[in-house]
Amino acid sequence: MGSEGFGPRIVFTLRDLPFVGDIPVSETVTVTWMIIFVLLVFSIVATRNMKREAKGLQLVVEQIVSVVNNLTKQNMGERNYMWAPFVGTLLFFIGISNIIGLLGFRPPTGDLNTTMCLSITTFVLTQFFGVKSKGLGGYGKGFLQPMPFLLPLNIIGELANPVSLGFRLFGNITAGIIIMSLLYGALGSLTDSLFGLAVPLFQVGVPAVFHIYFDMFAGLLQSFIFTMLTMVFISGAME
Amino acid sequence: MSIDMVTSSLRFGLVELNWTFVFQLINTLILFLILKKFLFVPVTTFMKKREDEIKDQIQAAKDLDEDAQKLKAQYELKLTHADEEGKEIIKKYTHRAENRAFEIVKTAEAEVDTMKLNAHRELERERVKAVNELKGQISELTILAASKVVEKDLNEADHKELINKFISEVGETQWQN
Repeated sequence: MGSEGFGPRIVFTLRDLPFVGDIPVSETVTVTWMIIFVLLVFSIVATRNMKREAKGLQLVVEQIVSVVNNLTKQNMGERNYMWAPFVGTLLFFIGISNIIGLLGFRPPTGDLNTTMCLSITTFVLTQFFGVKSKGLGGYGKGFLQPMPFLLPLNIIGELANPVSLGFRLFGNITAGIIIMSLLYGALGSLTDSLFGLAVPLFQVGVPAVFHIYFDMFAGLLQSFIFTMLTMVFISGAME
Repeated sequence: MSIDMVTSSLRFGLVELNWTFVFQLINTLILFLILKKFLFVPVTTFMKKREDEIKDQIQAAKDLDEDAQKLKAQYELKLTHADEEGKEIIKKYTHRAENRAFEIVKTAEAEVDTMKLNAHRELERERVKAVNELKGQISELTILAASKVVEKDLNEADHKELINKFISEVGETQWQN
């Protein structure tokens, strides 16, 4: 904890809680609450008064839900259709988190706690449904394939999945945050050194191109990658 | 327990695991439940219901169409039969009418023949009657004429007989034509 660097700010601290003491709450958490709130309001408003002939917002929400449903069906099979809400949660949460930097917030996915939380959730679900569908014996036998002496490698490979999943997303988004703040700093000092102005003129317009790449492109791509890999891991464990 | 808003820019380290992990776990679960309850389940159910409804409607329309096709085929068959039947009836009645007409003409001809015959007979009778009357008048005239010529009152009865005989002889030769 310090006041320097690119880590998430601590917004407030819950003090003197029984057993645990102080709990600092970072902007990662508060921005996540905001996203949850927005999605809650959107869900309630969009699914109110649904008509047979869809139009306006209903059309949008129907399209979103069917895209997620179809994505789930395609990647996990027709019978694993009930995974759609989980897939949708990952897709919306990560997607909105990644592009919320455009509004000036710090993306929650730029915090290792968030990404590891999501990837460990995926890991736990993968193991749980692997055991559930194959049985403990069948699941354990999978680690001895194709040769029994590859067991350590298989275990490491399995454990590497959540780590790579979590760090990939974290790294991409954090790199975006760092590069963008360095860019803003550089553009500010460039204006200062060229014109001697206190107003950072170059910060107008120029960063937009980088925002499009780091926030929009990389952000949406990473949310898609995370979701796809989650589906692949879970359905792979169940087969 | 108290909440302490920190205005200073105190930050977490960039790469560290802390309480945020627990918060985010709970947040993810809450978000999942919210999206499931308020977005995915209602919208998916709604779309499924609508899809089923539309499927039912299409099926119903297909059934209706099938029925209509069947009925159409039936009616067409009936219509063809009706056409044939109609032709048959027309043929039958034409035949009957022709027969009837023929009979009527035949009867009429027979009647005309009878009437002609009757007319002939009547005519004949009338003529005979007229001739007989004429004969009677002639005999009277003859007697009158003869009595004027002879100037003598003949025995009318004798002479009438005589003259009648004469006239009938003359008449017979004339009437034989």
